[in-house]
Amino acid sequence: MTTNTFVAGDAFLYHFDPRAKLLSLVLFCSWFFLPISLVGLYGVVFSIILLGSFNTGVHHTWRTFRSILPMLLFMVLFIPFNVRSGESLVTFGTFTFITREGALQAARLGGRFIGITYVCTLLFATTPMTEVMLSLRWYRLPYKASLVVTLAFTYIPFIADSFSQISESHKLREAGEETQKKNIFKRLSELLPTLTSALVVALRSIPNLAMSLEQRGFGRTEKRSMYHTLNAYTHPFTHFMLSIMIPVVLWVLCRT
Amino acid sequence: MQENKNALKVAVVAVLTAVVVVFTMMVRIPTAKGYLNLCDVAICFIAFTFGPWSAFIAAGLGTALADLISGYAQWAPISFIVHGVEGLLVALIVRQKGDETISAIKKIAAGIVCVTTVSMGYFILSAIFISGFSVAAAEIPGNIAQSGVGVVLGLAVATAVKRAYPPVRTLAW
Repeated sequence: MTTNTFVAGDAFLYHFDPRAKLLSLVLFCSWFFLPISLVGLYGVVFSIILLGSFNTGVHHTWRTFRSILPMLLFMVLFIPFNVRSGESLVTFGTFTFITREGALQAARLGGRFIGITYVCTLLFATTPMTEVMLSLRWYRLPYKASLVVTLAFTYIPFIADSFSQISESHKLREAGEETQKKNIFKRLSELLPTLTSALVVALRSIPNLAMSLEQRGFGRTEKRSMYHTLNAYTHPFTHFMLSIMIPVVLWVLCRT
Repeated sequence: MQENKNALKVAVVAVLTAVVVVFTMMVRIPTAKGYLNLCDVAICFIAFTFGPWSAFIAAGLGTALADLISGYAQWAPISFIVHGVEGLLVALIVRQKGDETISAIKKIAAGIVCVTTVSMGYFILSAIFISGFSVAAAEIPGNIAQSGVGVVLGLAVATAVKRAYPPVRTLAW
């Protein structure tokens, strides 16, 4: 199981200060909820997609789009039929199928959804997780909270690996038994021993981890482990200014 | 002594967060909204075994991290709130003193609260922040099924783990 969301690259977003990127993520996610014109919304969404393609590659951009495609289809199919008010666009006899208001609402929600998805994906695709953590530390995320996230990332591959091995072992025990199609309840009940074994393996590692933390001086004033500071990025002030200015200028240009 | 206790707390929450991520990502059934998974099994297990704060942090953080890793980052804040509250409420309902067994009424109440929190939480927050009410409503049955299975399996797993690994009781805080 891979826990890495970083896509290797060398385009300009990779050299942008991660603290400024985090700030612009929050500002852009808020920007999509402001009263803005539909043309402006799609213009910005299209620019973000273009920026993403340039930085992380067309393949990654397409993969992100494919992951949200089912949800977008749902939006297009459901929302217009649920909004009955406004001027009718498509009618069958006396029955109004789609109204102008419904179509506009679907378009706005769809655009917002695509925009938020790409803004979030771009941050994690162009910033290594360690730098995201260090940026959060810079924003005063408590030491304990950072440690929990870092340790969780360390333990995910170990627990996932144990889960796969235990699952395979349980499957081998069933080798030779009738392989007829089982219903969902049977399959879920057969999952119980695998889940129990995987949990016991994970829980057994807790005392060792706690002991290791104590030995590294956790909770004392003289710690033997601490987070290093974020690597120096050139022009952090400019990056912070840009991450504030761009959403503000876009809002001025696109507001209704 | 206090430092030792703090180290244990951090270790418990970190490993349980990783458990929630693995349970969320290892078994997946794709749907329109994203995917159905076994995260509720892990969350209910933690709530039944470890208490409210471990359940709140591990459930919220674990599901949010799973969303980030899977490329559904836009769902991470919603998952953090919904599943965090789910873990907290279930754990508060089934909390007992010492080795008391959990009564059937408490288990049923925990099940109802779990299903309601997940389905209503996702419905309200998705409707407001992501997809609008009609699309969010279409996802309610899937969420009910996922959390319902989660409660039943979570309870069964909690009982089995307590029997297979009795020291688990000493890890709760």
